[in-house]
Amino acid sequence: MTFRQFAFNNVVRNKRLYAAYFLTSLFTVMVFFTFSIFASHPQLTGDNMDSYISFGMNVAAGIIYVFSFFFVLYSMSSFLQSRKKEFGLLMMQGMSMKQIRSMVFLENMFIGLLATIGGIGLGLIFSKGILLIAENVLIIDNELPFYFPTQPILLTFGCFMVLFFLISLFVSYVLRSRKLIDLIKGDKKSKGEPKANLFLTILAVLLLGTGYAVALTVDGLKVIVAMVPVILVVIIGTYLLFTQLSVFIIRRLKKNENIFWHKTNMILFSDLSFRMKDNARSFFLVAIISTVAFSAIGSLYGFQSYLTAGIKQVYQTTISYQDYETGNEEVNVSYIDETLQEENMDMDKEQITLHYYELPDKPRIFITRESDYNRIADLSDNETLQVDDGAPALVSPEMILLGIGGSISDVQEEDMLKDAVLELDEDTAIEPEHLILSNVLPSNREYYVVSDQDFENLPESAAEENYYAWQEAEDKEIPLSLAEKLDDKLSTEGIHIGQYEEYVVNKAYGPILFVGLFIGIVFFVSAGSFLYFRLYSDLDEDKKKFQAITKMGLTEKELKKVLNRQTALLFFAPIAVALVHGAVALTALSHMFFYSLVKESAIVLGLFLIIQIVYFFIVRFYYIRQIKQALR
Amino acid sequence: MLKVRQVSKVYEGKVSYRALSDINLNVEDNEFVGIMGPSGSGKTTLLNMIATIDEPTTGEILINGKDPHRLKKEKLAQFRRRELGFVFQDFNLLHTLTVEENMVLPLTLDGKKVSEMKKKAKEIAAKLGITEIMNKRTYEISGGQAQRAAVARAMIHTPKLLLADEPTGNLDSKSSKDVMEMLESINEKEKTTMLLVTHDPQAASYCNRVVFIRDGKFYSEIHRGDNRQAFFQKIIDTLSLMGGDSNDFSSVRV
Repeated sequence: MTFRQFAFNNVVRNKRLYAAYFLTSLFTVMVFFTFSIFASHPQLTGDNMDSYISFGMNVAAGIIYVFSFFFVLYSMSSFLQSRKKEFGLLMMQGMSMKQIRSMVFLENMFIGLLATIGGIGLGLIFSKGILLIAENVLIIDNELPFYFPTQPILLTFGCFMVLFFLISLFVSYVLRSRKLIDLIKGDKKSKGEPKANLFLTILAVLLLGTGYAVALTVDGLKVIVAMVPVILVVIIGTYLLFTQLSVFIIRRLKKNENIFWHKTNMILFSDLSFRMKDNARSFFLVAIISTVAFSAIGSLYGFQSYLTAGIKQVYQTTISYQDYETGNEEVNVSYIDETLQEENMDMDKEQITLHYYELPDKPRIFITRESDYNRIADLSDNETLQVDDGAPALVSPEMILLGIGGSISDVQEEDMLKDAVLELDEDTAIEPEHLILSNVLPSNREYYVVSDQDFENLPESAAEENYYAWQEAEDKEIPLSLAEKLDDKLSTEGIHIGQYEEYVVNKAYGPILFVGLFIGIVFFVSAGSFLYFRLYSDLDEDKKKFQAITKMGLTEKELKKVLNRQTALLFFAPIAVALVHGAVALTALSHMFFYSLVKESAIVLGLFLIIQIVYFFIVRFYYIRQIKQALR
Repeated sequence: MLKVRQVSKVYEGKVSYRALSDINLNVEDNEFVGIMGPSGSGKTTLLNMIATIDEPTTGEILINGKDPHRLKKEKLAQFRRRELGFVFQDFNLLHTLTVEENMVLPLTLDGKKVSEMKKKAKEIAAKLGITEIMNKRTYEISGGQAQRAAVARAMIHTPKLLLADEPTGNLDSKSSKDVMEMLESINEKEKTTMLLVTHDPQAASYCNRVVFIRDGKFYSEIHRGDNRQAFFQKIIDTLSLMGGDSNDFSSVRV
């Protein structure tokens, strides 16, 4: 048996030990590979894509690569920790540290090679799936056909062989000279119970409290100013939360004998405070990584819904036309009518005239008749207005994209009405009696609606403009090809098709959303793996502990109860913190845009929670099974 | 108290192995019985079956006339923590708990009141002379103290039967003597029936009776008279007879 054969057999004949590390590496390679298949798809790299998108893709690939590096490094070192005893044994047989390093190096390169090839193979299998998902998320004109990704294969292979090589070199750092006795006794050494520093505990509460308070109270542009300091404060607070506050709480609980001495609590809590020392760092990492994933996906999704909601709000009818002084108004309108007829669309059409007035020191405003307003309101299924003679209404547009509108207090309303008094000439003045928030007519500032009777008494207007609106009879969307055809021809003349503009925004936004989702999910899944490693590094200790306790008489129910709580705490403590962080971050984001993201946040955070719960059940099942096998 | 009838144990596997064959053992109330034998003789297997941790392949084991192996899993665990007490070679104390917490652990599982547990722990600690180390952690005490704490844990619910597996295996001679004297006095004062598996003739000499098994079969048994020293010598003699050639006998005695 040569040395190389020894290292090789170590891996091949001990598959179970290496499985977790191997699978992690495999998964990382697969993620990177599928992403690069997607990023270097001929459909996306050709002229169809803007250069900034392909740049973004490369940046994303870089992030995934750097992250993979740390992720593999972490799993590698926790894998080596669990093999301390084995190394001790080998050293006792006379193996030098140098030889151990070269053994681990060979093993690691071997696993790395297998993982890279396996990851690429699996990635190829799943690549059609990822392309299909991409097709749906991204709005791409042509579909993304499967192609044989020569370039991504080479890229992934090269990148990960370098990665595994570097990590194999890092091993010498992980295995820095330890005493043989420490290696052999490794797990038996008592680590001592961690103690909480009262000052740091209070600091943790204060930091988190102020961070949250600031994040929740600022709005508008102040959010951007407050962002960096708040993030720093919350990160430090989170670290202290897990290293200090949690230990503090557990110790308080332990001191209360009514709780600590109650049934299985003793078994549960006693280990908790000890493991907190090791857990704290993993918890912190997981909480921060998950927060990043939640916030990134939440804000991307929220931003998309903010944009589309904004567009929907501006364009209330299917198609509208307001001439840009082209002189082709009649031609264009009849073109729209004809085109719609050709396609056999069942459309309702209305036309009104907007009367513009120009006053010194005031922007150009328009006044419209009650009946005109109500016709358009009817068409777009908005509330109609009841305007009495001598009691005109001031209509203010609600535009989330510009941060206009939202709730207006009574005081504000009075001020606005006072400011809006309009003296058209010596005889006629318009004094609006009430304020209405509505987007029925296209305008980005206030306008006036007067009763038909009052309208007759108004002086001559400075200009008149026609406003045409079409609405699909059953409020359905019109075919995309039709919308595109109309928009291509008339977008510079004055046509607006809300549905089409939404499509254009979604199309431009698709790649960003997809990349964000992809990276967010990678972060989240790897956060789950961190927890998995953390749990399994305690497996041997748990086996021993439960062997001892079952001999004294621990029922299976009690065993399950303890393990269930132990695993649940491990899986949900950091995620709960991340969920709260994420919720606060998304609330701050919504304050920045003055747009409620409650629904979007709930969907994103809820989905992640569900995934985590499923993950918890799977891991718990296997962990309990492992422990039970050891007890037999 | 304890009846072991025709018990055999076969470990199945690629090479099946008969660890015990046709063992019979009767232990009366308040008796202190030692089980001795060379390594691999099956003494720990026997103890594990009595402790209900393992099941006999054939035969039956009755504790107080009942066969615990017929109980359901949940009931069995409760039976163990209410009726039996265990002392192990490596103490099996949880290093994350204090001595006192280790002692009351079986009671907490039964959901006893804190005040009651405190009272019992105090009583038993006073009896076993470990009151001063009650709030110490397991790595702050010596091996002898740890084993005494383990005995205290085994005794806290006043079990009818105390099972000890090499309780002196990890201890120096002084600590061994302390622990054995303590077990002897518990046996006398608390009237607890005890079963001890050991290698150590010194420890075995504290028993009323020592049963020898070899290669999974009953070999012989000897009773203690008044003199512990003489009993110790008899144990040595039996061991050497069992372990090797007849010229291993002490020439003075024979």
